[in-house]
Amino acid sequence: MDLLAALETFAEQCNQNQRLRQMNRDWSRLVELWATDTDQRYWLKSDAGSITAGIGEALEAELKISARNDILHDIFSGIITPTEPYNAGDLLVKGRQDDMMRLDIITLLIWGE
Amino acid sequence: MSTANGFKRVLPLRTAISTSAGLASAAINFLACVEIAEYAGGASAWLALLVAGTLIILAGANFSELNGMYPSSAAIRVWIRRGINDNVAMVTGFVYATTVIFVIAADAFVLGHVFQAAVPNVSGLIWIVLLLGLVTWINLRGIRLAGLVQDGNGFVLLATLVIFSFLVLLHPHVSLTAQRLFHFGPNWLEAVAVGIFIYVGFEWVTPLAEEFEDSQVIPKGMFIALGLIAVGFGLFTLALAVVFPNAGALKRSLVPQLIVGLRALGPLGFWWMVVVSLTTAMTTFNGGLATASRFVYALARERVLPPKMARLNVKLVPQNALLLLSFLSLGLAILVYLTGQYLFLINAGAAVESFMYAITAIVVANLRKREPNCHRPFHSWGVPWLSWIMAVIFLGLGIGSLLAPSGEQGFPGPLVFLVLLVAMSQIYVWKVVPRLKAQKRGVAKAVVPKP
Repeated sequence: MDLLAALETFAEQCNQNQRLRQMNRDWSRLVELWATDTDQRYWLKSDAGSITAGIGEALEAELKISARNDILHDIFSGIITPTEPYNAGDLLVKGRQDDMMRLDIITLLIWGE
Repeated sequence: MSTANGFKRVLPLRTAISTSAGLASAAINFLACVEIAEYAGGASAWLALLVAGTLIILAGANFSELNGMYPSSAAIRVWIRRGINDNVAMVTGFVYATTVIFVIAADAFVLGHVFQAAVPNVSGLIWIVLLLGLVTWINLRGIRLAGLVQDGNGFVLLATLVIFSFLVLLHPHVSLTAQRLFHFGPNWLEAVAVGIFIYVGFEWVTPLAEEFEDSQVIPKGMFIALGLIAVGFGLFTLALAVVFPNAGALKRSLVPQLIVGLRALGPLGFWWMVVVSLTTAMTTFNGGLATASRFVYALARERVLPPKMARLNVKLVPQNALLLLSFLSLGLAILVYLTGQYLFLINAGAAVESFMYAITAIVVANLRKREPNCHRPFHSWGVPWLSWIMAVIFLGLGIGSLLAPSGEQGFPGPLVFLVLLVAMSQIYVWKVVPRLKAQKRGVAKAVVPKP
């Protein structure tokens, strides 16, 4: 299950979505994703509406997300919504509430419910 | 703000303290202070509050352990789901969120009377509408502004309460002898029981856990807040008992804090307590709406509530959830103001909080068995034997609150009301939730803010 490939596809879809680009034009954030079972870290970066993804630790991240690799993969592939694992305690997030809401909306705009 | 390992944009300990202390410090606490002083038989009320605080610290330890394991804004929804089951978690979540409306309405009732006493020409109802409207507007402007309001009001409230109480207690005419401070009235244990309700609501800070990087901040914040509440309201209750040795004389008043202020410091004391009452209500309205609206949002995103409740505005605030809670609180506040049945709400709210403390004690014990290897940054004390004792104590306090006479002829209205609320929530979970979850997907438009 390649989480990096899922993240890169996710970033590409964000960048192709005009409404998202407009919505995120003033949202520049670094997000770290930690796959707890494989202990591998990834990052997503939003820079004036443009999203990029990569592998490795994200120093100075504003938002940290941790879950099992399969859960992160399924969320960023649109197979599941983040809400279900979040309310079950399987997805943990650290960061400001408005940033979390923003990320939730991004997944919602790309994948729907 | 950036921490040592580079994590940016985290909240400071100050916010954990102010949120926890602010949510517990409601205007209805002043009515409880009168009862505590009366039951304790005078100045020993401070000790009753201290003993009650010790019990609450044990409840705080349970919240700290659960919060450390699962630091989530879905808080009780996650913990109870893992520690008991999903059904109990949903029903409890509904009832708990409803309690926020009770507390806001009861506080609005007291606040309305405070302003009616201060400005007799303007109806208390107008003040209630204005203040709830102001807090709703602040919340619609975003969580940052709501947080600043909470910080400011929380600290002003406790600091001014302590200063006011010291001014009263250090007056040359006041003599506080050891005999007076330790004179226990015949109903001293009842004073401890009522004292517990001074602190309830302190745990509403736990949904903010994600905004603090260090998982020790929430326990620290809660424990410091409990200490500040004990000092602030303990000193005020002592001042009250000194100014009114027969505290029962204040029992019929809805604004005892104003009467104490007036007698102790004259018009300055009266207006001082008006301002303090305003800050208590602001922290309750503001903190309650901010926390509960996010909780409703999470339930709507999970399709446990209609998707419209997850609609966000451009500031990323769940506006429909916020407005619904605000209107319900206002409606209930007006109803209570017109009927005067505020005790009904206070008793029902106190019962729900007590039951929640009992449930979290059980959840802590269960999770120690179910998930023994889960990382616990904070360990609660005496699990499981103390957990079960706590569960029994808080269950007893909850039942006591439900059976307390709150209307005419001793009819246990809060008990009937709570049973109905639980039953309706359970029916909703059985009948409506499966339909909502099965609805056709694609409601993104109902949630996403307009560009």
